[in-house]
Amino acid sequence: MIPPQPGQQTLLAGVFLIAACYGAGALSSLLARWSGRLALTVGHLAALAGAVTGLGVSLDVLLGDPGSTLTVPLPNFFPFARLSLAVDGLSAYFLFVTSLVAVAATIYGPAYLQAHSPHARPARQAAQVLALNVFLGCMAFVCCAGDAMTFLLCWEGMTLASYVLVVSDDRDGENARAGLLYMVMAHGGTALLLVAFLALTERAGAFDFAALRAAAAGLDGSTRTTLFFLALVGFATKAGVVPLHVWLPRAHPAAPSHVSALMSGVMLKIPIYGMLRFGFDLLAPVAGPLPSSWGWTVLVAGTISAVLGVLYALQQHDLKRLLAFHSVENIGIILIGVGLAMLLWRTGGAGEMLATLALTAALLHTLNHAAFKGLLFLGAGSVLCRTHVRNIEELGGLARRMPWTAGLFLLGAVAISALPPLNGFVSEWLTFQALLGGASRFHGPGGLAIVFSAAMLALTGGLAAACFVKAFGVTFLGRPRTSHAEHATEAPASMIVGMAWLGLACVALGVAPGYAMRLLDAPTAGLLHAPGASAVVTAHGPLVLSVGLTAAGQSATSISMTMLAALLVALAMIAWILRRGSRGTAPQTAPTWTCGMIPTSRFDYTATAFAKPLRLVFAALYRPRREVIRETAATPYVLRRIRYAGEIVDLSETQIYHRVEQGISRLSRTIRVRSTGHIYGYIAFVLGTLFVALLLFGVRRG
Amino acid sequence: MSGERSFALVLLEMTLLVLFGPLVTGTIQKLKARLQSRQGAGILQPYRDLAKLFRKSTVQADTASGLFRAIPVLVLAATVAAGALVPVVRAGTPAVPIGDALMLLGLLALARFLTAVGALDAGGAFGGMGASREMTIAPLVEPVLMMVVFSTALVAGTTELGALAAHRGTSWIFAWHAADFLGVTAMLVLLPAETGRIPVDNPDTHLELTMLHEGMLLEHSGPGLGCMLLASHTRQIVTLGFVSALFFPIAVIDAGAGGFVLGLAAFAVKILVLAIYLALVESSYAKLRLFRVPQYLAIGFVCALTALALRIL
Repeated sequence: MIPPQPGQQTLLAGVFLIAACYGAGALSSLLARWSGRLALTVGHLAALAGAVTGLGVSLDVLLGDPGSTLTVPLPNFFPFARLSLAVDGLSAYFLFVTSLVAVAATIYGPAYLQAHSPHARPARQAAQVLALNVFLGCMAFVCCAGDAMTFLLCWEGMTLASYVLVVSDDRDGENARAGLLYMVMAHGGTALLLVAFLALTERAGAFDFAALRAAAAGLDGSTRTTLFFLALVGFATKAGVVPLHVWLPRAHPAAPSHVSALMSGVMLKIPIYGMLRFGFDLLAPVAGPLPSSWGWTVLVAGTISAVLGVLYALQQHDLKRLLAFHSVENIGIILIGVGLAMLLWRTGGAGEMLATLALTAALLHTLNHAAFKGLLFLGAGSVLCRTHVRNIEELGGLARRMPWTAGLFLLGAVAISALPPLNGFVSEWLTFQALLGGASRFHGPGGLAIVFSAAMLALTGGLAAACFVKAFGVTFLGRPRTSHAEHATEAPASMIVGMAWLGLACVALGVAPGYAMRLLDAPTAGLLHAPGASAVVTAHGPLVLSVGLTAAGQSATSISMTMLAALLVALAMIAWILRRGSRGTAPQTAPTWTCGMIPTSRFDYTATAFAKPLRLVFAALYRPRREVIRETAATPYVLRRIRYAGEIVDLSETQIYHRVEQGISRLSRTIRVRSTGHIYGYIAFVLGTLFVALLLFGVRRG
Repeated sequence: MSGERSFALVLLEMTLLVLFGPLVTGTIQKLKARLQSRQGAGILQPYRDLAKLFRKSTVQADTASGLFRAIPVLVLAATVAAGALVPVVRAGTPAVPIGDALMLLGLLALARFLTAVGALDAGGAFGGMGASREMTIAPLVEPVLMMVVFSTALVAGTTELGALAAHRGTSWIFAWHAADFLGVTAMLVLLPAETGRIPVDNPDTHLELTMLHEGMLLEHSGPGLGCMLLASHTRQIVTLGFVSALFFPIAVIDAGAGGFVLGLAAFAVKILVLAIYLALVESSYAKLRLFRVPQYLAIGFVCALTALALRIL
């Protein structure tokens, strides 16, 4: 038995408390027998307590002794597998990310559900509370799992609970289809994970990660790579990597908005955790670099996801769907960092430091994306619950009606567009530096591919900015286009508090990112067995981020987000004095200039119009289709009515999924001819299959 | 890390850039006028325009939100902050690190983002059109600028502009690698796009067929418009300073007040060369159709990619 470690008792108590909070929250769904509203409030409060405890536990581990793994045995449910939790730096970091967004979502949730669907039946509210607590609990424990069994159980719990939440909101056909697609894709991914895990557990004869690690040490190269790719595809399905992303833009918008924030902000990061755990820990060779195919695959998949994610996001007019596509983009950016770290790890020289830099960038972007995407989804939720409209073409003018929501949404928009001085810029800057360092190490085509990936990352940033000018401008600025938008009012205080919590995280991580590097020390040092993040990035003190692209110490690049923010504030104050002018009078107001016509909301630029130039520039990818129907009076110059319809296609959907679907349909039609409908026929099929299987495996064993 | 440029010098350089920004615009306009056989306004005209605007009162669209008044302030602050990242009189890393070339591009992107948001605020079609077009061109320009930076950064091992300039030092064309020539070509192709000039944009008109940047300023007035114009003057000189820091020789050593004056004079000459280039291009080409602009920018992309390939392969 493992001797008790210092901190074990605290951790045990913390983990127990987290489980108790989420358990109590799940049980509180029973209160819905008396009052659905009471169940909502109590359930979300219990989840909030669980999230706060999660923050405490993870900070305790992250700021404590790095490099140690604390193990907590769990009661035995299965005769063949001993369940346990193992918390190391990486686990604690992902627990931290989960808890950070969970705090905001649980503060936001009750008021949102009340405002969005005030006449919901108690049964639905009970199901939502139950599923939310199970979802949060499973996400917290899947990162802390110490064995394959616990991991898979929590993974499955996470999928099922989120499925319930996806279909819980509005009961219409589209949500149900989105949920079904999500279920199928998620389980396809889980099946691959199951194969990867079982192949390892069979060799190890046990389920705990320590035994799996030992068993993986003896694997030959091709088996190792096969297992890694099985796990990678399994995780990529859940993470929404192109072309496995098709479920994501359907399922995420369907869930209640605070759950969308959790799904996009946190749930997509759990597969990243899995990839890191598999790639750098369980399957990593004992010595020497990782097989180069791993890193290149992840890097290329990340680059493609980043560019395609943002390109498809640009053409969306459903606010939540647009945000969901941006999650595909950001997962791509994270994977660029992960792939680069895989390529550079254990390559000697400056490679060690650059691998740490790349992993730091990926992990920091994980946290940053959780903060700003959570904030944006909550903002979209506030708009949705006040207007009940998701199509941004029907909104407009909300900044005057919902100033807090608009301000916080704009903050999130600046952050996700990777603009200084907020947090998105910091992690993209680190990614750029890592890419540049990687390019200078790989001569030949590899280096060029890495630099091309950097250029694509720059393109992604620019397109994201364009997309969020559109999303923010069309939703919040100008005149309201419908009465839904015209009669909107500000969201309840608790929802604003939830958003402000994440907005604060965006500002803090942007202005003083050096302090966040301390949180990254334990995961980077523990995973790569090299100096941690703060040794590489904040060598000149916490206020300066500095990296060296070549051998350590030689001509480093330093930036200081804190100095920049101070400079910006000082300059803005000077500019404000200029702006007030010498007169200092209040501005007169006048109608907007519309060439002498009376301005109406139809003069406002629409989202379709805004995105049109980019739609034409990237027409090869979008394959846009537009249809204009004109109804004219007697002469063609007098238009009576004009109708416009346009759509773009998702290339992976038309090129891959539709073809697969056609193949399956053709196959099933062929089979249908053979199936007679008589039960004897089916029994014969089953027996025949069994016979063949026995024959095959019996022969091999004999 | 010991910096070679004190914080006071960085602030002084930033102030100089803001002060001389309108002068560059005035010079280009004067040059253009002479090339077109006109007398033209004096080179100090932009200063007179700014002084006039700051004396005026403000008229604001009645549909604009509270954000609208803050936009010019934030745009000006972001653009001027980008000026703090450009080495003017001499090269070397700053004693107090603020940012590098990527930060400079980020700050200019922030200014552009906020300008576009402000353009949509009033709810007119002109602002929307300007914002849409500007945000179409910008994502195509930024990656190429980034690639040009990378092509020099790969050799110097840093993306800090002062350090990049120090690495280039006083060596010039004779010491250039083929990649440098391609990098300069890419930069010269992009320069009109980044400064909002023909053949990509036309700074002189508000006509809907030509406008990108000017369309976004339509609803600003008085001191607010003054701030926006000052920001575009500053943006122009910052971009030119960025190019000269990447490719033109610059003194590395500190030589006291004499060195400062000499460095400033050298900077003025470099900016003047680039200003003459811009005036020549603007006088000899017509504005491109909007959907031709990506093809024009593709020339820059190809040059930058080839420059990078030459560096790496």
